[in-house]
Amino acid sequence: MNCRPFNQINTPRSAAVLVVFSFLLLQGCTQTWWWNNDPIPGTLRFDAQLEWNADSAALGDVTVDHLGHAIRLDNVQMYISEMELRSEAGDWQPVGDIALLDFSVLNPRILAPVPAGVYDAVRFGMGIPAEINADTDPASYPNDHPLSVLGSAGMFWTWSSGYVFVKYEGKFAEDSEQPLLNPLSYHCGTDSSFRTVTLEFAEPIFIQSRQLTVHELVFDAAKALIGGEDSIDVVTDPVTHNGSGTTLGGRIMDLMDDAWSIR
Amino acid sequence: MNAATPRFRSHARFSGFLWALFLICLTSCERCQEPGCVGADCNPEATPYVLEIPPFFPPMDIPADNPLTVEGVHLGRMLFWEKSLSDDGSMSCGSCHLPEHGFSDPNAYSTGITGAQGIRNAMAIINIGWATHYFWDGRASTLEEQILEPVSHPDEMALPWSEAVARLQAAEAPNYTQLFLESFGTSTITAELTSKAIAQFLRTMISADSKFDQWRRGETSLSDEEFAGYEIFLREGGDPETTPGGQFGGDCFHCHGEAGLQFSDYLFRNNGLDGSFEADAGRAGVTGMPLDSGRFKTPTLRNITLTAPYMHDGRFNTLEEVLDHYNSGGVPSATIDPFMKYTTGGLALNPAQKTQLLAFLETLTDTSFIAASQFQDPH
Repeated sequence: MNCRPFNQINTPRSAAVLVVFSFLLLQGCTQTWWWNNDPIPGTLRFDAQLEWNADSAALGDVTVDHLGHAIRLDNVQMYISEMELRSEAGDWQPVGDIALLDFSVLNPRILAPVPAGVYDAVRFGMGIPAEINADTDPASYPNDHPLSVLGSAGMFWTWSSGYVFVKYEGKFAEDSEQPLLNPLSYHCGTDSSFRTVTLEFAEPIFIQSRQLTVHELVFDAAKALIGGEDSIDVVTDPVTHNGSGTTLGGRIMDLMDDAWSIR
Repeated sequence: MNAATPRFRSHARFSGFLWALFLICLTSCERCQEPGCVGADCNPEATPYVLEIPPFFPPMDIPADNPLTVEGVHLGRMLFWEKSLSDDGSMSCGSCHLPEHGFSDPNAYSTGITGAQGIRNAMAIINIGWATHYFWDGRASTLEEQILEPVSHPDEMALPWSEAVARLQAAEAPNYTQLFLESFGTSTITAELTSKAIAQFLRTMISADSKFDQWRRGETSLSDEEFAGYEIFLREGGDPETTPGGQFGGDCFHCHGEAGLQFSDYLFRNNGLDGSFEADAGRAGVTGMPLDSGRFKTPTLRNITLTAPYMHDGRFNTLEEVLDHYNSGGVPSATIDPFMKYTTGGLALNPAQKTQLLAFLETLTDTSFIAASQFQDPH
C-alpha cells in the first residue's frame, strides 16, 4: 500500500493551505473581513416595556384614562422601522431591520447589530416606509420575517395593500362601575401615518464589539390618548381604521410620537 | 527513513495545531453547517418530494427533521386512511375528514369508536401546511404533534400508541415495516415516525384551484354578483350613521384576509357566539389567560361551502346562518373581538348583499382538490 506516514504529509505547503483555510473559516464567523477596518459590531437589544401613566402595565390590566373612563388594552402592536443611532460625531447610523413589537408576547424586544462605538440618541419610524408599504405582497417574504403572511398576521390590510402600522385595541366603559364592553379599536396605517420618534439617551451608550448591550424602550399607552396639544375621548372616538378619510388615526400617531422613552 | 528531524517535528506540531484549529472552526461556526435533512429519522436514500407552491402563496415551512419524500408522503397517505389505527379497526383519520365534505366532518361533533362525541367540530384539512397552530384552541404547535392526539384519544380512535405501533409492525399487507424503511431508513416503527409520515402527506394537500384562484391568476372572470360579494368582503362593516368607519361591508377581511390566499389570519378570536365560556374556554384552556376566553382559531374560508356545519361547535348548519350571526353583531362579552359590531347594530347587510357575499364565498370552492386521486383512500 502506498500511504505516506502522517509526519511526511506535514509539509510547509500543506501548512500554508491550512493556515489560509482556517483563517477563511474564522472570518466566515464574523461580520467583517480582515482587510476591512470596519469594527466588528456588537448587539443592541431594546426590551420593550408597556406602561400606563408611567406605571408598569400589561395587556388585560384595567386602567383609567384622563377623562375617567375605564380602559382595558387587549392588543398593542406596532411596526418599528428605519432605526438609527446617533454617533458622537452626529452621524446617524442605520441599525437593524423592520421589527414588529407585540406586547402580547413574553419579553417583546428588538435586536440589532450595531457597529462598535459611542451613541447618544436613537430614532426610529413607527410604521413601514412608503417604498416598502406600497404594492407589497406579504407572501414574498420568508415566514419568519415580520412583513410575511405569518409575521404580519392581523397587521396587513388587503383592501389597501398596506400594513397596519399600529394596533391599539381593547375595551372601555364610561366609568369604572360599568362592565368593560365597548370596543376600542385604533388601527393606524397608510403612508401619511408614518411617524419618526427621536429619543436621547440619558448618557451616551457604549457598544462594544461582540458584546450585548441592553436598554429599555418604554411605550406609555396612556399617552396615546392625551398629550400636550391634543387628547382623544374614547367614548366619542372609539374606532379608526385610518382608511376612511378620518383624521383620528393621524392624531393618534402624533400622540404616540411622544409616548416613547428610553432608559 | 526516520523523518523525525527537529525541523520536521516542528512542522508536524504546527500542522497538528492547524488541523485542530480547522476542526474547531468547522464545529463552532453555525454558518458553516448545511441545512437539510437532519436527525436520525432522515433517510438519505429516499426520493425528495418536490412541493409546488402555488402563485401568491407564501413559502411553506417544513421541519428540517421531517423533509418531504415521495416515500414518506405515500406512507403518510396509507396511514391517514389506516383503520387499524383505531381500537376496533373501524376508523381512520379520514373517517372524520371526508373528502366530499372538504376533508371535514358533516356532523357538528365527530363520533369516536365508543360512540362518545367530542366537543368541537372536526376542522377541515386544506392547506394545513401553512397553519401555525392546530386544533380550534391551538394546543398543538406542530402538525406532527397534532397528529399524535386523535389515535390515542379515548373519545376518538381510542388506541394506545404502543398498540398502534405493534399493529403496524406486524402488518403484512401493506408491509409497513418496509414502507417505514424506505421512508425513514428504519423498519422500527414508532408513534413519532407515524405522525411524521402523516404530516408529510397532509402538507401535500394543497388547494389552489378554486374559481377565486383562477381569477387571481387571470384565467377566468368573476360574475358581477361574485365581484360585488368580494367588495363586500373587503369593506368595513356597519352603517356609517351608527358605526364609526362603517361602509356597509361584511368586515370579513380583518380575520379572513386574503394575504397569501389562505383566508385566515391564523389568530385566535372571540367572534361573539356566547356571553360566557364555562362550556368551552377556547384558547384560554391552553394559555390560562383570561383575555383568551372564548377565543378560537380563525378557520380558512377555502372550501367553506363544503365544510358545514360551522363554528368550533358546529352550531350553524348553513352559511346563511353564519352571515345572520355576523350581521347581528354577536353576543357581547368581556373578550368579544372589537371587529364585531355588537354595540352598533351589526353589519347592516341587506338580503341582496348577503346573497352577493355568499356568491363570493362560493368562488372559494375547489372541487378538484377534494376529488384529487392522490388524497383518496388507497386501501
